[in-house]
Amino acid sequence: MIGVAPPEYDPAAPESATTLPVGSTLTVRSYVRELLLRHRRAFGLLMLVNTVAVLASMVGPYLLGGMVEDLAAGEDDVALGRTVALFALALAVQTVFVHQVRLRGAILGEQMLADLREDFLVRSVGLPPGVLERAGTGDLLSRITTDIDRLANAMREAVPQLAVGVVWTGLLLGAITATAPPLGLAVLVALPVLLVGCRWYFRRAPSAYRSEAAGYAAVAATLAEMVDAGRTIETHRLGSRRVTLSDRRIREWTSWERYTLWLRTVLFPVISGAHVLILASVLILGGAFVLEGWLSVGQLTTGALLAQMLVEPVGLILRWYDELQIAQVSLARLVGVREIEPEDTDGAATPEGRDMRADEVRFGYRAGTDVLHDVTLAVRPGTRMALVGPSGAGKSTLGRLLAGIYAPRTGEVTLGGAELARMPAEQVRQQVALVNQEHHVFVGSLRDNLRLARTGAVDRELWAALSAVDADGWARALEGGLEAEVGSGGLTLTPAQAQQVALARLVLADPHTLVLDEATSLLDPRAARHLERSLARVLEGRTVVAIAHRLHTAHDADVIAVVEDGRISELGGHDELIAANGAYAALWRSWHQ
Amino acid sequence: MQIRDLPFPDPGHPDARSGPRLLIWLGKQQRRQQVVAALWGTLHMAALACLPLALGLGVQAVVDRSGERLALAGGLLLVLGALAAAGDTMLHRVAITNWITVAARLQQLLARKAAELGSALTRRVAAGEVVAVSTGDVEKIGWFVETLSRFAAAVVTTVVVCVSLIIYQPALGMVIAIGVPLLTLGVLPLLPYATRRADVQREKAGRATELAADTVAGLRVLRGIGGEELFLDRYRAASQEVRAAAVRSARMWALIAAVQVALPGLLLIAVVWYGVGLAQDGRIGVGELVTVYGAVTFLLFPLRHFEEIAMAYSFSRPSAQRAAQVLALQRSGRAPTSTDVHAFGANTGDDPVELGGDLYDPATGLLAPAGQLTLVVCGDPDAAGRLADRLGGHAPGVPEPAKLATDTHEEADEANTANTADRAAHTAAASDVARQNDNPTARPDTPPASGAPSVLLGGIALDDLPLIAARAAVLVQDKDPVLLSGTLGELLDVPCSGTVSAQEALDAAQCGDVLTALAQAADDGSGDPERAKITERGRSLSGGQRQRLALARSLVTDPGVLVLDEPTSAVDSHTEARIADGLRRLRTGRTTVVFASSPLLLDRADRVVFVPDGAVADVGTHRELLLTNPAYRAVVTRQSDEEPVAVAPGGSTHQTTEARKIEESA
Repeated sequence: MIGVAPPEYDPAAPESATTLPVGSTLTVRSYVRELLLRHRRAFGLLMLVNTVAVLASMVGPYLLGGMVEDLAAGEDDVALGRTVALFALALAVQTVFVHQVRLRGAILGEQMLADLREDFLVRSVGLPPGVLERAGTGDLLSRITTDIDRLANAMREAVPQLAVGVVWTGLLLGAITATAPPLGLAVLVALPVLLVGCRWYFRRAPSAYRSEAAGYAAVAATLAEMVDAGRTIETHRLGSRRVTLSDRRIREWTSWERYTLWLRTVLFPVISGAHVLILASVLILGGAFVLEGWLSVGQLTTGALLAQMLVEPVGLILRWYDELQIAQVSLARLVGVREIEPEDTDGAATPEGRDMRADEVRFGYRAGTDVLHDVTLAVRPGTRMALVGPSGAGKSTLGRLLAGIYAPRTGEVTLGGAELARMPAEQVRQQVALVNQEHHVFVGSLRDNLRLARTGAVDRELWAALSAVDADGWARALEGGLEAEVGSGGLTLTPAQAQQVALARLVLADPHTLVLDEATSLLDPRAARHLERSLARVLEGRTVVAIAHRLHTAHDADVIAVVEDGRISELGGHDELIAANGAYAALWRSWHQ
Repeated sequence: MQIRDLPFPDPGHPDARSGPRLLIWLGKQQRRQQVVAALWGTLHMAALACLPLALGLGVQAVVDRSGERLALAGGLLLVLGALAAAGDTMLHRVAITNWITVAARLQQLLARKAAELGSALTRRVAAGEVVAVSTGDVEKIGWFVETLSRFAAAVVTTVVVCVSLIIYQPALGMVIAIGVPLLTLGVLPLLPYATRRADVQREKAGRATELAADTVAGLRVLRGIGGEELFLDRYRAASQEVRAAAVRSARMWALIAAVQVALPGLLLIAVVWYGVGLAQDGRIGVGELVTVYGAVTFLLFPLRHFEEIAMAYSFSRPSAQRAAQVLALQRSGRAPTSTDVHAFGANTGDDPVELGGDLYDPATGLLAPAGQLTLVVCGDPDAAGRLADRLGGHAPGVPEPAKLATDTHEEADEANTANTADRAAHTAAASDVARQNDNPTARPDTPPASGAPSVLLGGIALDDLPLIAARAAVLVQDKDPVLLSGTLGELLDVPCSGTVSAQEALDAAQCGDVLTALAQAADDGSGDPERAKITERGRSLSGGQRQRLALARSLVTDPGVLVLDEPTSAVDSHTEARIADGLRRLRTGRTTVVFASSPLLLDRADRVVFVPDGAVADVGTHRELLLTNPAYRAVVTRQSDEEPVAVAPGGSTHQTTEARKIEESA
């Protein structure tokens, strides 16, 4: 059998449902239109400069054709000096304009690319917290790294080069036809071959290249995971299995390489063949026309030389068209973020007071399966409430509803009488903050890491916040103090220090209500202890809903709510619940022996 | 070697003494393929080079009004075209195959190296390097390898064309033979500048991507507490820097493009000037003039390959150097014996000789009697982690770079450190210090692995066993076990004794809710949690869920000795109590050591060992120790000496001492 069938396993096939939408063709088109419109001047200029460069490049063949004509006619005076001067002038013009084409192409491409990546990040940071919480950040992350990377090539090179190639081809064909209209026919001979071949290729190529790229990425990802999990792999003696897995990924990747190589094995002869056909038909047909007296020798020479020049722009178009098709997929993923509905909020919902209430709240992540069933709860200002219960009972979900991240399916969660779900994130966070295990330290200075909570804060306030959480000691000892670069690539903070930074941010943001979700649970017990003291300072004077992880947290709360199966099964103070002798009492006894 | 035969059954043993040596080694592995590619390339270019000849013959035929010769010229053109197309396609096929085989070979070598280094890789020094080589450097090395055969073909063709031109048309031929080398050299001085600017651009782009990725990774924090504008501004600045650097780089490439137009153009003008004069004098025919003109335009084509190889080499040389350094990394301490290496390749899960007996650490005096559940309380989590590592033997060390000639990007660092080995050790030590910043007293109590006597299992020193045998005998689950991506079924498919079923392990680790969550997310809609995908590092799961799955994985393995370091620190009290029962039930009669300080776990132990400062201080049951040992009580029950969380700060004396400790350590 001739040819290679596409491999069965497709690494580009989505492994699970994409968490964030991918842009529709309509969105992509309107975005591209908007982008071109924004840069129409630069684009127009590029085309103009390009036209001049191409026209200048055709002067050579014309002049040579003229001279061949004269020489063939046996004329003595071929005005060699003037011809050479013209040639040189054309060359100078061509040199300058080719330089400009390259430069302007790059400037335009880079500008569009910068617009695109900045637009994307602006959109991303405006996403509703509920969407982020549900989708996670992994999908966004791959869009801003992999997809931007793929687009970079397309924007930087493909768009300008394609435009250049199209103009160039058009001008050459026009010039051939203008030089000798009958030669236009000769070019047409090759057209069907080119069309059929390209159609075959471009139907298969883009998705194949996507799979090939995904396959290669999987090879690297497998190795990266092996490195990351080196310790676990050694512990469980998985080394040889991982090597086998890595070899399998290599086979999957190379099988796609083999397929795309086959696609090119078809395309390359088609292109070369078309080129030779054009050249041969120009020579033979054109030669015949000259013999018939319909053309001059000079016209034939010029035409043949111009036809020979076609090879470059056609190659350019074919090469970058591929890239553009691949880029289109990435673009769709990037602009897909635009299709996420903004929150249905209204700025008018202003809370009066700090009373937090949940009224007959039902909520589920999937239609048909509720996680919370009819939860009603009131948290009075200044109280400490602990939510306890087994894993998966819905404690964290309830906490996120109280922090305004999710909107209840039915019922409502209100703060000071205003519905939390109707407030924009910017307003919610002035009132309530969710504190969880995620204590991200951003790449940058310690100052930036704190200032995000209160943009206008001066250094004195930042230090005050650090000392409020017991962190000023190590922070002052850092080289550069607030200027110290932290986060990946900079100084690595210990988990405990990172958590203190997160707490200092809370001091600066100063919301009156905090929802704590296992805030310190992932830390070493010893580190957790002094963090708890830092935390205690932050909690002072605020309303606190703590998703309790360790029972001593619950012991000291004003009110304990036991959450079981999405319902509140017990509610009351510690002593009250111990006396009631229910689930909480049983647990307390086993823990406190 | 065909692509369909990949991956290699054995990628071989690379010469990793230096970058160039690695390149040579890689080249040697595919010598035949390189020659084949070069031959096809020569056919392709030679046919292309002859096209102008056919064109010239045709024009001359028309001038001489010979239809027959015109047809012959046309036929020659078609034949040459067919040869060029065949050569081009085959060159592409073979050259790309060379690229792919080199890339596959390197990736395979890296994977094997990663497996060999194992836990030594988790130290940052080497980990980042391995990934960088895999994601960036392999492609650059492949590029050079691919270019090599085309370059060879270009050299051959250029020489042949120049020589033929001199024979065909001596006067014009000489002009071209002198002009072409000048053209070749003309652009070369610009290339280093261009590649340097391209490097700056890449570096800035990398930085911008990192900032964007970092912002997105922390997006939930930003949306929850504010500061979006701050980070957007920062990213915009970085993004504009990338743009500026890219334009700067483009200026250089535009200049090169202009030079590539101007220089050949000048040669063309010279040829036309000189050639027309010759034609006027009747010394050459018109057709010959067209041929020579066409030949000069053709020569620009192989010239590009000269530039490409110069660029490819300048990019791939540092890449090869980095790859060589990574491939030369070795596990420190005892050199891996050949049995170790084979064990990695051959072990498929059958345990080697089953070792048994009591586990005893002479350094601390810790004894874990065979078949019992021993709980260890250290008070200091870092000391606990190191002690747990010791118990497994072959404590994870730092990979050692082989001593090799340093490369340019190493030279920058040389001012600080004498050699790369020092540097690696230094960095590792620094990260250790960073990790222990808030535990100033933690470091000195356990001596480095090489200095302390080995842990004994039934009287046999674990350090003297091959690594794989030690790991099979004692499984040490560290504080932060990684969940490998794949389905749940794959996660639990680890080398094991076969005694404990996946279901039993999952039950004991209380994974019921994780299974429910996974079943709902199973993407084939089967609702079968076994087939549900676990994302990389289990990011889609909560900390507690990850911990319980990792515990289930260790339980399935059912090793003779199981050492767990804080296995339930992120699990709530309800669940922890149930896990403690499950663990006890499942490990009945097996040796188990758990480092923990939770009363729920301690209460279920056969034996509790208190190791406060690097040596055993007390042994007993939880209740006995609670009653008799105040220091133990202080470590285990928080209420006795500390203010609990939800109360306003009261223990001010603790805070100040703690703060001072931190200050000292920072």
